[in-house]
Amino acid sequence: MMNRIRGLGAATLLQLEEIGEVVRFGGRILRATTRPPFRWRAFMAAVYDSGVLSVALICASGLTVGFVLGLQLYNTLIRFGAEDSLGTAVGLSLIRELGPVLTGLLVTGRAGSAITAEIGAMRTGQQLDGLRMMAIDPIHYIVMPRATALAFVMPLLSALFVVLGVFGAYLIGVELLGLDGGAYLGSLEAAVEFRTDVLQSLVKSLIFGLLLGLIATWRGYSCEPHSAGVSRATTSTVVTASICILLADYLLTALWSL
Amino acid sequence: MQSNSNRDLAVGVFVLIGLGMIGYLSLQIGGLSLRDPGGLILFATFDDIGGLSPRSSVRVGGVRVGRVESIDLDEDLRARVRLNLALDLELSIDSAAAIRTSGLLGDQFIALEPGAEDELLVSGEEFAFTENAMNLDRLIGSVVHGDGLGGGD
Amino acid sequence: MTEADPEPGHVEIRGVALAFGRRRVFESLDCSFVRGRISVLMGGSGTGKSTLLRMIGGLQRPDEGSIHVAGEEIVGLGEIGLARVRDRLGMLFQNGALLDSMSVFDNVALPLREHTDLPAAEIAERVHDRLAAVGLSDIDDLLPGELSGGMLRRAALARAIVMEPEILLCDEPFSGLDPPNVSRVEALLSHLNRDRGLTVIVTSHHMATSLRMAHRILLLRNGGCVEGSPAQLASSRDSAIREFLGKDGAEYLAHHGHEFQGADG
Repeated sequence: MMNRIRGLGAATLLQLEEIGEVVRFGGRILRATTRPPFRWRAFMAAVYDSGVLSVALICASGLTVGFVLGLQLYNTLIRFGAEDSLGTAVGLSLIRELGPVLTGLLVTGRAGSAITAEIGAMRTGQQLDGLRMMAIDPIHYIVMPRATALAFVMPLLSALFVVLGVFGAYLIGVELLGLDGGAYLGSLEAAVEFRTDVLQSLVKSLIFGLLLGLIATWRGYSCEPHSAGVSRATTSTVVTASICILLADYLLTALWSL
Repeated sequence: MQSNSNRDLAVGVFVLIGLGMIGYLSLQIGGLSLRDPGGLILFATFDDIGGLSPRSSVRVGGVRVGRVESIDLDEDLRARVRLNLALDLELSIDSAAAIRTSGLLGDQFIALEPGAEDELLVSGEEFAFTENAMNLDRLIGSVVHGDGLGGGD
Repeated sequence: MTEADPEPGHVEIRGVALAFGRRRVFESLDCSFVRGRISVLMGGSGTGKSTLLRMIGGLQRPDEGSIHVAGEEIVGLGEIGLARVRDRLGMLFQNGALLDSMSVFDNVALPLREHTDLPAAEIAERVHDRLAAVGLSDIDDLLPGELSGGMLRRAALARAIVMEPEILLCDEPFSGLDPPNVSRVEALLSHLNRDRGLTVIVTSHHMATSLRMAHRILLLRNGGCVEGSPAQLASSRDSAIREFLGKDGAEYLAHHGHEFQGADG
């Protein structure tokens, strides 16, 4: 029994220690952004890898989620005779929650894991040590462009997801189920407001991007320098980032409604 | 450094599309105005504001013309609502402000009904006619007791 | 027993102790590396050759002791302080450690682009000069993954010397290479040492090559080290040392016996 408690205490301390290291790592990345040069080339390359290459996935997912939302919400709303408010229901759910969260999870799986694997492979091949020996800070050279790129692309992809979702539900509601297009768009525009909804969505996706940027690069940077270690780190990125995104979503939703 | 102009182009297009989406959501759907249209401050006093809160919208004929800025209690312990409306809005002095619900279960907003007089309301003035929030309990009660609908002001 | 050197070594290790968990790697290690000489670190697997090299480069911190590189104490320095010392170091890693997403040219040019304001034309000149010095040409646009082992090693060497370091650290530069390439790398290192006065510190267990190339051998064992010239160690009274050097040691003595000064290692 005592051993169990001791074990729990040790595990908790270990977790806290790791959180401390992650925070310190985040601080170093932040400091790196303030030191010139900014490394635009690497940033653009990372935006391409995380953002442009995710567009197909985001579009497909946004559209299909829109289809599903359109169908499901229609089925519920029609029971109250409120099917003309489909635009409202779809718009609010996508903008406030589904857009940022689903985009966050998708990008985590696609780009987050890739970045962890890339940095982990560099660590395994001693490339990060090589940079240090040339008096080049690997955090400034490798980590910072990738972490900032993830934060940058997240709001853009999230907006894309939302618009495609709205469009997908439109296709289902108006084209398939015969709703009035004007009523759909009208209820959408009436219900959605910039300050309460769109801004919330953008802030959420930005914060998710920052979280993912920090976690994905940290896991790669601190992994054990062999292939099993990289593999473990990649999985860990997806799990940790997903959980953090969901928790952050709850916190932000609660804070925003204050 | 390897420069890849195709990739740079793709990144540029991606950023433009993303910003465009954000713009569409903010301006068209979210109704963000780039110029601050507010400035016409009017007051309306109600007995019961229901679920109205600061930031609730103010509409004329369903079109958003402003927002609720703040809600306070006046000396008679009635709710005094401060409205920030579009500067070019022309409302006659006999216009009314009513608290309505969007749909059956939706958010509450203030609906303005224009009056017929020539003289217009000026910033700082009060609405002469107001209509309280519809209270569902009272409504059901009056139907049950056959009192007739007593929305009142 | 070490010879008394008239001046402090280019790299001085004093009282260094290091343990990984329960495994003690070094226990009060004392050794020094002479300026302008080729020193080879040898020892069985797990004796900490690579670890010692990493400590000199500041990539590994010892638990105790001091390490002076070019007169400066590096234990306790942060990354910024280490950067200053690393300006004088070049390191050749075992698998090259070139950035695999960049071409060979960009890899060798990287330190120049980061730390100097040289115009592109001059950078190109220096890069080509270094690549030619290691016997590589026309491989500018190749990626590290497209190079053979020998070429990769030499490209990495070009990068290590492009900033004109005083000290060159090489971790197992001969491992995994076929005999022609081993000779090539050996010739390059000797050449760099002779012509540019580079202090070269190498870890290796290529016995014959090491004995031939080294001015001094540092044999790591039992948490400490034994220093001496190749001849001294090859003719050491300590049978364990002679056994370690094996047949190559005996062969070395046979060819270079006339260099033997007398005192045991």
